[in-house]
Amino acid sequence: MTMKTLKRILHIAGNDLRIMVSDKVYFFWSLAFPVLFIVLFGLLYKGGGNGPAVAELTVVNRDQGRWGAYFLEKVKSPGVEIKAVDEEPEAYNRLLVLPADFSAKIEARAAQSLALKKREDASTEAAARVEARLFQAIARVISELVLYGEGDLLKFWDGHPEFRELVRVKTRFPENTVTVVPGGFDHSIPGATVQFIMMMVMIYGGVTVMEDRKKGVMGRMLFSPLSTGGLFQAKLLGRWAMGMIQALILFVVGKVFFKLDLGNVRLSLLVIAVFALAMAALSVFIGSLVGKEDLIIGLAVLLANVFAALGGCWWPIEVVPAGVRQAGMISPAYWAMDALHKLRFFQGDFAAILPHLGVLLGLSAVLSGLAARYFKIRD
Amino acid sequence: MLEIKSLTKSYGDVLALDHFSLELKKGEVLGLLGPNGAGKTTLISILAGSLRDFTGGVSFLGKDLFSDRSLKNRMGIVPQDMAFYEELNAADNLLFWGGLYDVPRADLKKRAAEILEMVELSGRSKEPVKNFSGGMKRRLNTAIGLLHKPDLLLLDEPTVGIDVQAKVSILDLIRKVGAAGTGVIFTTHQLAEVEDTCSRIAIMDRGRILAQGTLVELIRLVGEKDIVEITGEFAAAAFSEALVDLDGDGVELLSASDNQAALAVSDTDRIPKILDRLFRRKLAVTDLKIKTPNLEAVFLKLTGRSLRD
Repeated sequence: MTMKTLKRILHIAGNDLRIMVSDKVYFFWSLAFPVLFIVLFGLLYKGGGNGPAVAELTVVNRDQGRWGAYFLEKVKSPGVEIKAVDEEPEAYNRLLVLPADFSAKIEARAAQSLALKKREDASTEAAARVEARLFQAIARVISELVLYGEGDLLKFWDGHPEFRELVRVKTRFPENTVTVVPGGFDHSIPGATVQFIMMMVMIYGGVTVMEDRKKGVMGRMLFSPLSTGGLFQAKLLGRWAMGMIQALILFVVGKVFFKLDLGNVRLSLLVIAVFALAMAALSVFIGSLVGKEDLIIGLAVLLANVFAALGGCWWPIEVVPAGVRQAGMISPAYWAMDALHKLRFFQGDFAAILPHLGVLLGLSAVLSGLAARYFKIRD
Repeated sequence: MLEIKSLTKSYGDVLALDHFSLELKKGEVLGLLGPNGAGKTTLISILAGSLRDFTGGVSFLGKDLFSDRSLKNRMGIVPQDMAFYEELNAADNLLFWGGLYDVPRADLKKRAAEILEMVELSGRSKEPVKNFSGGMKRRLNTAIGLLHKPDLLLLDEPTVGIDVQAKVSILDLIRKVGAAGTGVIFTTHQLAEVEDTCSRIAIMDRGRILAQGTLVELIRLVGEKDIVEITGEFAAAAFSEALVDLDGDGVELLSASDNQAALAVSDTDRIPKILDRLFRRKLAVTDLKIKTPNLEAVFLKLTGRSLRD
């Protein structure tokens, strides 16, 4: 591809984009309407699913002895971050207070109770994670005390590092058991984004391809030195860019107004980019095959809603029965949403979403091939 | 500049172009006249690169038109469809369409302003095109084809569906473009348009050129004669007798009555001779009208049907 060809492709794609985004109706359906979905489904599924990746635990350590600090070292983990403060604060998510006689009671082998407080609207999932970690730490300290009695435990560890982790809690569930239910805005924003990329790219992308064909606009473009292949790439690029811009704006709105956390922004954008490419190809394909605006809109709304529901855009796919989850795999939205959930809620990395990217890339290739094969420039 | 050699194109059993050949020189304005279905749009579509599966060849500026894509930078094409973006204004449309050709961005803005002036749209260049009248849209459609200063301009029925004022404006533009050195081919089925605008006319039907030349040449080509109507003071018999020896020498007596007669002459050069014969016989002539035969008659004679059929 020469520079001149690339310039022409970018010129056409940029013009398509400019026309689309300058349409007020497009603005409403692409950006304002999805925000309604974000709020609706974000609030609806806020319940246990919006826990942060690392649960913060505010600790007031009033202990006069050495066991308080020792115990807190046991509580620390990659999923629990301890925030030490001197006085009990007014605002906290989760709070643990170690009393002044914490060490004294341990050494006296006297019973004591610790209170873990949770702010009413803080994540229950995070509180449960902290609670489990506390039980784990208590079990360890008790085990150590039983095993080593009155000896100097810290000195003992130096010679016996293999005994450092006496108590380990390993969670074992059957395969595919859902241990975390995504929810809240971190679910609803990507959900609405994926759904409305599907709907709006198909509608606007498809209708404009159809109109440009019927009005002879695409035919006229080929009077220039541009090739048919170049024109196809320009149309594909314009529609892909439309989906990406829509996603970027929704993510920014989500970040500013709903504290959106995508887990891994770059990989999330990569998922959206590949998904938008598949939808761009589908829109060119539909725009080439269908000759009526109403039909394109009807088809796009139907497909986008069915795919959104099956793919987990409205409700987390993790809450539906396994059979329905498997059926959802026919939806392109499933692969995008599942990859986004892996990145945000399941500490997934590039390797975790590789199969999803593969499926979406394959789908993009197939749809692009079909769109290119049936790309119609004139009626 | 442009040489079309034996172009043949079929749609199924229908022959749209039948060994069509044509040459066009720089600055020449050629009107391609023909009824609907004559093959005019097919020809333009092939030249524009929109149609494939044809035989024959086209040489443009000494190169094969279809093997060198960069030649499209030297061609401007104005399709029948109003093919532009109605959502954009006229200036933005020109900048968009001009951007598809190899015209530097700075030159493009200047050229767009010039073209808008030429087509008398500069006053409304910032208004969305969807608010334009049909005539204004046609002018914009034409302007887009001219923006990159092509050597060859192809216009497919550029005056369809517009008012007289807009039509005059577009035809005037075509004349100016030709005068500036651009070769122009425009298709139409409006006789008056080619008569007034073109330096050469080709009459086309059923995919072939039936005749071509200047208006005068065309009329002569088919043996059409000027009609001379004479009014005076004479008897029909005397009038006929005075001209009897000119019959067959380019003069044909069509009708003669007392004080009025009509003749067909192959050339208006014959008129002094006719008057001389009448004066010698003391036949008074008070009025003489020459009616040039029109293209409609030529077309009728060539195709056996009216252009409007």
